[in-house]
Amino acid sequence: MTALTVAAQPDRDASLRPVPWRGMAWVTWRQHRVTLISLLAVFGALAVFLWLAGLKIHHNYAVLTACHPFTSTACQALNNTFNHADWTLANILGILMQLVPALIGAFAGAPVLARELETGTFRYVWTQGFGRARFAIAKLVLLAVAVTAVAWAFSQVFSWFFRPFLAQEDLSVLSGTVFDTRGIAFAAWTLTAFAIGVFLGTLFRRIVPAIAVTLGGYLGLSLATWWLRAHYPVALVTSNPSISGNGPINVNDPWVLNTWFTGPGGKPANPAVVNQVLALFPTHGAPLVKETMAQAFAQRGITQWWRYIPVSRFWPMQFIEAGWLLVLSALLIAGTVWLVRRRAA
Amino acid sequence: MTIDKGNSPAGGAVPGAGEAAPPAGTGSPIEFRLDPASGVPTYLQLVQQVEHALRLGYLKPGDQLPKVRDVVTSLTINPNTVLKAYRELEHKGLAGGRPGQGTFIEATLSQIALPELTTLRRTLLTWLASADAAGLDEDGIVALVTSALRDFFDRRDGSADRRGTDTEGVA
Amino acid sequence: MNVMETQDLGKRYRRDWVLRECNLQVPAGHLSALVGPNGAGKTTLMQLAVGLTLPTSGGVTVLGGQPAGSPAALNGIAFVAQDAPVYKNLSATDMIHLTRNLNRGFDHRYATSRLGELGIAPGKKSGKLSGGQRAQLALTLALARRPQLLILDEPLAMLDPLARQDFMATVMTAMADDGVSVLLSSHALAELERVADYLVLMSGGRLQVAGEVDDLLACHRVLTGPAAEADRFAGPLRIVQTRRAGAQAHLLVKMSGPDDPVPPGWEAHPVSLEELVLAYLRSPGTETPPGLSLARPPLTRPAEPSAVTR
Repeated sequence: MTALTVAAQPDRDASLRPVPWRGMAWVTWRQHRVTLISLLAVFGALAVFLWLAGLKIHHNYAVLTACHPFTSTACQALNNTFNHADWTLANILGILMQLVPALIGAFAGAPVLARELETGTFRYVWTQGFGRARFAIAKLVLLAVAVTAVAWAFSQVFSWFFRPFLAQEDLSVLSGTVFDTRGIAFAAWTLTAFAIGVFLGTLFRRIVPAIAVTLGGYLGLSLATWWLRAHYPVALVTSNPSISGNGPINVNDPWVLNTWFTGPGGKPANPAVVNQVLALFPTHGAPLVKETMAQAFAQRGITQWWRYIPVSRFWPMQFIEAGWLLVLSALLIAGTVWLVRRRAA
Repeated sequence: MTIDKGNSPAGGAVPGAGEAAPPAGTGSPIEFRLDPASGVPTYLQLVQQVEHALRLGYLKPGDQLPKVRDVVTSLTINPNTVLKAYRELEHKGLAGGRPGQGTFIEATLSQIALPELTTLRRTLLTWLASADAAGLDEDGIVALVTSALRDFFDRRDGSADRRGTDTEGVA
Repeated sequence: MNVMETQDLGKRYRRDWVLRECNLQVPAGHLSALVGPNGAGKTTLMQLAVGLTLPTSGGVTVLGGQPAGSPAALNGIAFVAQDAPVYKNLSATDMIHLTRNLNRGFDHRYATSRLGELGIAPGKKSGKLSGGQRAQLALTLALARRPQLLILDEPLAMLDPLARQDFMATVMTAMADDGVSVLLSSHALAELERVADYLVLMSGGRLQVAGEVDDLLACHRVLTGPAAEADRFAGPLRIVQTRRAGAQAHLLVKMSGPDDPVPPGWEAHPVSLEELVLAYLRSPGTETPPGLSLARPPLTRPAEPSAVTR
């Protein structure tokens, strides 16, 4: 061997300042380059596709709405084309959007720490001066921010793409599958899915089981949220019959949660009487019919009440949902760091 | 033990080790080698090799012993072993360390302890005084000493050859 | 200073105790060899020392009293686990950069020049390097951190003889240059005597022998003599191992002092480290308590720089 270079001694002061955080930026990038670039590439490509397709759809919709008279064959033909060809595409994409956070959570989140534990490289990286807890925190925060940002940007493109279909297909922004692809909900769901993936990956120490349980767990959580959303503290109550949600729905129509009847003095109404009136009006959807039915109830001293969420409550609901998802994500990430801390070899 | 006579860096390159030759003017004249099968502890082998080099004249007072680090790199032994060997040599009075420079030979093997030297010198001066009193001049003293010296070493080496026999009178 | 001290250290996985009642003081400035059969608890002990695992009972401190796994300990200890883990999809240069970002005080110049000396292509993915090159890479990264203590878990297992030589030479040179203390586990007993000056022998999760190699060799010897008399010594002498034939017996004994007399009619021979280790491993009941020393104090690195040139 040829002569070795003489080493310089680093300072070894007794009060150790921790290794600076900024080193982790490069470390995170280098270790997860593939994931980050794939994320950017895939969603970038999808965004470009949505943008191009969206331009066409917006154009078609503008033509459609400008078409007069609506009942003419030409306009109906346009309508049919829009509803079939264009809507099919949008419908499929809408469904895929429901899966995207789960996929990101499972395939981007689960391997973050699980790979280190599975391949044994944690024996190298957890014995470096940086410290394993700080290492995990820095990496998870950086990746979470990146994933959330990409998700948010993508959901904005998708929202714009999807807008014409709201009116056309009688969907409200509060509809189950629409609500979580718009605003900040999509980004929050993606963050939560990522946090679930990371936590389970660290818990199981194996990537594949973590992916499976992440997908299952996310599914369970989103199903539970459909129920939960109805209970957000934003609902209003009214006895105004125009609120009724049956029949053709307008994009601006509220989401009716439930309805009940009260008799004189505010006590619950007699069900027999209610059913009697309802039997008189088999189709209670049309506005004129609603008015008449309400009068029939009023004659018997019965008031119909509705609990509903108006469309104007969209953003408060978004904040509530994003809020608790953020808290859940923070808890999962904190839980991951706790697992890292007490993780034995 | 391989020999690298002092000041020619190109000469005496160690075969097979792929070492770069030490720069001119620095470096030790000797290089160590180990005999793992000899049963002699490593540090003792190093001490013995230094003493052997001293006897054979490869090392002289003032020569530098190989740097600890170089010994460690080429022989793959523990540096504490080399330090132990060098300390033993210091203890024997053969070598000494110079801070920041290394370990250097300070004496030859034939060096004997100072108090003994002083005693011998005193005895010699006493004898010289009596030789002077008997009338010998300087040349005469030198001749007497030289002949006695020769007789002494002949007999000492001779008696080593004829171990056990006592054909001549004991001196 | 002791680079590692354990107090009644124990570790249990589920119901198996892989390490029990381990009381150890590993001194600084030494290369301490951790020797023992597979499953003896060597890897567990090392992992406890670097904080990868928590003890079930007892405790371990490093670098003169720092808790294992604390920031000071992480900073001063470099660990190379078994089969030298590195990120297989990162190149050597990437690994250097990674290590630099994760540590204070990284000697970048040393790392890159060592790679050059070793002939490791800096841009090649680590997964494509040979086992020996990967081990050297991991060692380079560890030494470039300029640690006070280097812990190596079976570093030579996958290396061919030349690679082993190069690896150990690198470790020895680092000891000479920077005074790094080294703790390594190894099965290569024959080479240990040249490189190790502190021995820790473990068997079945327990500490069997711990002490300076010089002291251990000085206070053990083999007595060879008539087999018929061998049983006489069972009481008075501490016999580690007996090997006997019809007429002759060899007793590997631990002496009580440096000048124990040799029994009449018997010969005394010095013991090699390999012989000593094997004898203890074959006799699991015998122990030599740690901290063993005779009249001579343990060998420590001299304070004066005279014998060390930089």
